[in-house]
Amino acid sequence: MNFEAIKAIYLFEMARMRRTLLQSVISPVLSTSLYFVVFGSAIGGRIQEVEGVQYGAFIVPGLIMLTLLQNSISNASFGIYFPKFVGTIYEVLSAPISFVEIVIGYVGAAATKSLILGVIILATAFLFVPIEIRHPFWMVFFLVATSITFSLFGFIIGIWADGFEKLQLIPLLVVTPLVFLGGSFYSIHMLPPFWRDVTLFNPVLYLISGFRWSFYETADVSVGVSIAMIFFFLAICLGLVWWIFRTGYRLKA
Amino acid sequence: MPNAISISNLSKTYEGGFTALHGIDLDIRDGEILALLGPNGAGKTTLISLVCGILNPTTGTVNVQGHDIIKDFRAARQLIGLVPQELHVETFETVWATVNYSRGLFGKKPDPALCERILKDLSLWDKKDNKIMQLSGGMKRRVMIAKALAHEPRILFLDEPTAGVDVELRKDMWQLVRRLRENGVTIILTTHYIEEAEEIADRVGVINKGRLILVEEKKELMRKLGKKQLTLELVEGLPELPEALSHYDLDVQDGGRRLVYSYDTQAARTGIGSLLADLNRAGIAVKDLDTEQSSLEDIFVSLVEEAR
Ligand SMILES: Nc1ncnc2c1ncn2[C@@H]1O[C@H](COP(=O)(O)OP(=O)(O)OP(=O)(O)O)[C@@H](O)[C@H]1O
Ligand SMILES: [Mg+2]
Repeated sequence: MNFEAIKAIYLFEMARMRRTLLQSVISPVLSTSLYFVVFGSAIGGRIQEVEGVQYGAFIVPGLIMLTLLQNSISNASFGIYFPKFVGTIYEVLSAPISFVEIVIGYVGAAATKSLILGVIILATAFLFVPIEIRHPFWMVFFLVATSITFSLFGFIIGIWADGFEKLQLIPLLVVTPLVFLGGSFYSIHMLPPFWRDVTLFNPVLYLISGFRWSFYETADVSVGVSIAMIFFFLAICLGLVWWIFRTGYRLKA
Repeated sequence: MPNAISISNLSKTYEGGFTALHGIDLDIRDGEILALLGPNGAGKTTLISLVCGILNPTTGTVNVQGHDIIKDFRAARQLIGLVPQELHVETFETVWATVNYSRGLFGKKPDPALCERILKDLSLWDKKDNKIMQLSGGMKRRVMIAKALAHEPRILFLDEPTAGVDVELRKDMWQLVRRLRENGVTIILTTHYIEEAEEIADRVGVINKGRLILVEEKKELMRKLGKKQLTLELVEGLPELPEALSHYDLDVQDGGRRLVYSYDTQAARTGIGSLLADLNRAGIAVKDLDTEQSSLEDIFVSLVEEAR
């Protein structure tokens, strides 16, 4: 294992993110605040409580997950797509490192940034609503596991994409709808039975449910299932990355 | 002396079926400067990319100081530095950050003193805190050289280092190349220009249409390349070559109205003087004369024909 190389990639990526940190922090903080105003205050005034939790506080885990997923995917996909696009990938390919180090460097940096954002949004949320975290360990677990898993997923998208449109395609068309329909803003128990069953096919539901459980001990599905699901996603992403490594897919002709 | 790089039966067929390299065999000697010559699309960049691990070979093996580039890729790549043909740079980074990054990427501990020396050698030191997008094209190329040198490679590939480079920088570059060679670094460079190879290389390889058609000591090649032709237009056609001229390498053309004499520019005596004297003595009047140096193109043509 070439640790110097992992460190080099990681720090280089972090430096790139530091340059754009202001934008990348401001925009999710701003949009989260807007969600609080719209959902927490305006709508929350009417709903008040969901499963014994104040509505404004109820949506916090979902909002954090939304930011985490979107940012993990966009950071990691852009991080590897950009050098492919401008050609600087040649250096990474010619370096004495294997794909494993490349993945750890790029995905590690993207996941770190998502984590930082997640924590910032959590801190912002404290300003708006009363939040309690009943299971801090599992809260951190979900935070970290989601960041890593979806950064891996973003990395795969970045390798697969051969144009900027494709880079946007999956986050926009798949991930955002899944997050919105995954119980960020409601409990699936509020849905009619048919839609409740449909929602169970939404993988993001399990993440949000588990994450919310670590805050308030209310969940749409049992937390064990949520934990199993996140490992399942992680396994899928690792499998895909392994396959890319074996075949050199879209990296090496 | 051991070889820096041994390439055997290396070929590359791109997706879509185009074969850019056909079974290349080449030994690159330790410490030499090898120039790879060839026209556009010959396969020079493909060859370099295969050795450096940017492309996967279709067939064949490459050994870098005894390390197979696939089985033992870490050891092999550690030894190699690459300056690619295209200017691929991290536009938004500073010169300093990007050069240090390159060193780390190759697994080396940071060494600010070394990076400083490299940047100074390449006259980039005063630009070290500039973003790369603020540099000119020639400076960007120097940054790429600095990146390639940052991990102290023992073998350096320069893919068309002089493309888009002014005379001054070219001179600096050759100076740098010579200095590296003095330190025992093996250097492989590609070029379209025979003069460049002549100036700097120890050996020259010629690639055409994906085949290595010749690898030779520069001196030997220059002898071959150094052939010139003297064309003599005669006032009257010769029915046949007079006996007195038979020992010259003469080609009679155009029904005896034109004589073409091939000679070696590097030879101590070209024989032109005596040829003209003998013509005069034989009473053959010359209307016009013209000399022509065989070009790289001619060499390609003759080499390709020979190879058939
Ligand atoms: N990715 C690719 N896919 C398909 N064909 C390719 C690819 N890259 C190069 N080729 C083809 O392979 C051949 C050799 O290309 P290469 O870049 O190695 O030439 P070169 O000798 O470096 O030329 P130049 O002097 O113009 O740089 C060309 O015919 C080129 O079109
Ligand atoms: Mg080329």
